[in-house]
Amino acid sequence: MDDPVSPLTVLGPQCDAQRERIRKLFDNGASAQDTLRQLCELADSTIQQVFAELLRVRQLMSQGFCLLALGGYGREMLFPYSDLDLLFLFGNEKAEEEFRPLIAEFSRTLWDLGFRVSSAGRTLDECRRIEEDNAEFHLAMLDRRFLDGDASLFEKLDAKVLSGPERQARPFLLNELQRLTRDRLNRYGNTIFHLEPNVKEAPGGLRDYHSTLWMRQLAGDRRDPRISPVNEDELTRNAVEFLSAIRCFLHYGNARNDNTLTYELQAGAAERSLGIDDNLRRNAAEWMRLYFRHARTLNRQLLRYMEQRPPATISLRQRLMNATLGGKPETSNGKPFMVRDGLLELTNEQAYADRNATYALLSEASRTGVQVSREAERSIAYIMTHPELPQRNSRVAWPVLSEILGADFPGNALRPMHRLGLLIEVLPEFRSIDSLVVRDFYHRYTVDEHSLRTIEHLQELAEPPDSRGLHFTQLWRTVERRDLLILSLLLHDIGKGMPVENHIAGSLQALETVADRLKLEEEEKAEVHFLIEHHLDMSATVQRRDIFDPATVSSFATNVVTHERLQRLCLLTYADIHAVNPEALTPWKAEMLWRLFVSTSNYFSRTLDRDRLHASDEAILLEQVRQLAVGATKVEIERFLDGFPRRYLAVHSPAEIAGHFSLYRKLGAEPVQTEVKTTHHAFTLTLLSADRPALFATIAGVLAAWGMNIVKADAFANAAGVVLDTFHFVDLHRTLELNPGEVARFQQSIADIVNGKQALEPLLKGRLAAALARPPKVAVPTTLNFDDASSDQCTLMEIMTQDRPGLLYGIGSALSRLGCNIEVALIDTEGQKAIDVFYLTVQGKKLAQQKQDLLREVLNATLS
Amino acid sequence: MMKIEAIIQPSRFDSVKEALLEIGIEGMTVTEVRGHGRQKGHTEVYRGREYTVDLLPKIKLEMVLADALVNRAVEAILKSAKTGKIGDGKIFLSRIEEAIRIRNEERGEGAL
Repeated sequence: MDDPVSPLTVLGPQCDAQRERIRKLFDNGASAQDTLRQLCELADSTIQQVFAELLRVRQLMSQGFCLLALGGYGREMLFPYSDLDLLFLFGNEKAEEEFRPLIAEFSRTLWDLGFRVSSAGRTLDECRRIEEDNAEFHLAMLDRRFLDGDASLFEKLDAKVLSGPERQARPFLLNELQRLTRDRLNRYGNTIFHLEPNVKEAPGGLRDYHSTLWMRQLAGDRRDPRISPVNEDELTRNAVEFLSAIRCFLHYGNARNDNTLTYELQAGAAERSLGIDDNLRRNAAEWMRLYFRHARTLNRQLLRYMEQRPPATISLRQRLMNATLGGKPETSNGKPFMVRDGLLELTNEQAYADRNATYALLSEASRTGVQVSREAERSIAYIMTHPELPQRNSRVAWPVLSEILGADFPGNALRPMHRLGLLIEVLPEFRSIDSLVVRDFYHRYTVDEHSLRTIEHLQELAEPPDSRGLHFTQLWRTVERRDLLILSLLLHDIGKGMPVENHIAGSLQALETVADRLKLEEEEKAEVHFLIEHHLDMSATVQRRDIFDPATVSSFATNVVTHERLQRLCLLTYADIHAVNPEALTPWKAEMLWRLFVSTSNYFSRTLDRDRLHASDEAILLEQVRQLAVGATKVEIERFLDGFPRRYLAVHSPAEIAGHFSLYRKLGAEPVQTEVKTTHHAFTLTLLSADRPALFATIAGVLAAWGMNIVKADAFANAAGVVLDTFHFVDLHRTLELNPGEVARFQQSIADIVNGKQALEPLLKGRLAAALARPPKVAVPTTLNFDDASSDQCTLMEIMTQDRPGLLYGIGSALSRLGCNIEVALIDTEGQKAIDVFYLTVQGKKLAQQKQDLLREVLNATLS
Repeated sequence: MMKIEAIIQPSRFDSVKEALLEIGIEGMTVTEVRGHGRQKGHTEVYRGREYTVDLLPKIKLEMVLADALVNRAVEAILKSAKTGKIGDGKIFLSRIEEAIRIRNEERGEGAL
């Protein structure tokens, strides 16, 4: 039957005209906020007219029935092609029966007028029940807004029916909301960085903002989430406006509720400077940079609320004002932070006006792996940007930064630093890659995000989440100068944000200013320079060269020079590939990378004696040493350097070499020269002497007698038979650390024993037995391999065995007893495992098979 | 229509790709694979642990071409992938009955 009064005849063209008008205004620069408000008003007005007309035609009164707007429509954020979420509320079942026929026609009419209706019907009684399998409905109800009908019914619902059940259901709803949010974030890979993001559902999208509002509401914040708290920051408002503008643009462009910001639409948005007030022209990559900054704001806020901290009863501003008026600061263990519920929280906010407190907090996070809570970050951000407490000590020194970067969880400090703007404060060069987009289908993340992810992939190696990282775990645990590796990762792609042809050149340029500002030592800067300059080499070798070809390995090794640097470069390459996108580091690539590492590492340890120095070819080094060693001639320096393995140059700086040369010059007066230095929580002993039998074993014995644990050592000899041994050791009993005067006595003890003026055995008595009595934490079996092929002159002996005090003394003594001369030694430790490589000769020749067998027997007995 | 499947050394991939591009072949599927024929693996020892490589990393290329292009493609692959050593790889050819472009349902050689 035809309805004699069809709303379409009047409303249809009116709605179309209004929509067109609103769209034109938007296209001409109206804000998203205004656009959404007008669309909402249009929907409200249309619904009210249709509702009134249908009641009139059916001669019904609205008593016992009303219409509510829910969800986005309830929040008055109605996008051009979004559904209208409606609730038909009935006073009772009788009212439901009476009004149900009207609903179908109502919905049909709205559809005909171009509105997509998504509706539900409930009686008042049904609303009392919280449906545990329909949390989304109850969350949408949080945004309820009266549209038309029986207003008293709505008031009853709002004030009486729902207030109790909603209050009781808050923990359940909050849990459900958290679960739904986690599921949604997981679906999108827990990252805001998508090449073509969904601006509603993806992390950093508008759903993050809506979820934050719901969480605040459920946690007891103001009832009406649309009333912003006093300190809802401008960043959030701008982010919501920006993303809302994008969503309007997408709806109009796609003519449907499609919220994917495709590549093509990114270009279109940039072309019209969507969401931006300034008159600057931007390309798509630059415009997307703004998108990611805003997405980051919304996502951060959501993640903070996900931590579910109860809101402070007084505002942060008030707490700071109270503190400045003389309130007593709280501390825990003397530090202005503590761990609560697994997160680092501030205990004395006032202290954070001093940057040292902030860096102490970050250092704790980096050292322990405990995350800084979002609330703590928010407090620090507030303190940094408000004038109540003047900032002190804002310039961070390299030792402080080095401690953070060199710890086990540097990412746990660097992420908050980046969010707080501290990373850019310490490294202003980092600003050039902040939210910088690389528009290709290979790079998933912005450049700054990529850099931070490289570091997080490394710290994950402590417990790798999958098989790709298994081989590299040990490298991460034992790599030296982790701080330099992490600094290299922070800087390696900075050049991508600079106007340079080659990004590596740009990054190296940035390193100059960084090194100058942080006052890096020359060797530190040189190491970071190398890692940045060659950060693509290992990857290129793996992909483009035959890594099973010895020539490839040799060529690569020549460039890398030392095993320590190889470790750093390998970890950097692993992290760099891994952080391009989640699939970039395939198990295949990881294995190839590992193979190249193993081949190169073995090349280093097996070819030490192949490449010896011809000092006359090292003009630059000779000049450097000559300048540092006052009064020395070039001939003297050449005589000293000739014949050392090339590794000697690789592991010692010109200043160190000059220092060794100074010791060498004193050998005439005193035949054993020693130097003891402290380095990064350990000691280094350098000894120069003419070669003599059992020298290496003797030094190792003295160290064991003094309770020192050798972790690393190099033993070299030059062409003139002068031995230069370097031992890196840990002072287990803190003898030298607590008694600096003992250092001189220690050095004298070494000289006396080496010179034969004092016996070693009485010193060792008891010490070794006591050490052996302690069972090892991890049992390491002994393996012993001989290699006659790698060296022309020597037999290589590789031993892997349980590390223990006095081990090197035992091995050295056995070698000496069997007449073996140590030409070169490389000593290393990984946790409980000792890894020692000796280049051996007997009377100037390789070891005969018989000698090898005997040596094996003796050492197995010694080490068992 | 023929399908060409080529297993090659990873280090030759860039050259093979260039060579195919030069004769106008741009579409291919690339997979990282492992395998061996006569080229046996080897054992590397690192810090007391043995790492046996018995399945060597290779790259597999697959492409379906019109009959007229097949010989030229095979020649290009042979020329650019060869090092003369064991382990250079192999090329397999198989006949394809039909090819369909998903976007517009075009069939036959026109879909390639």
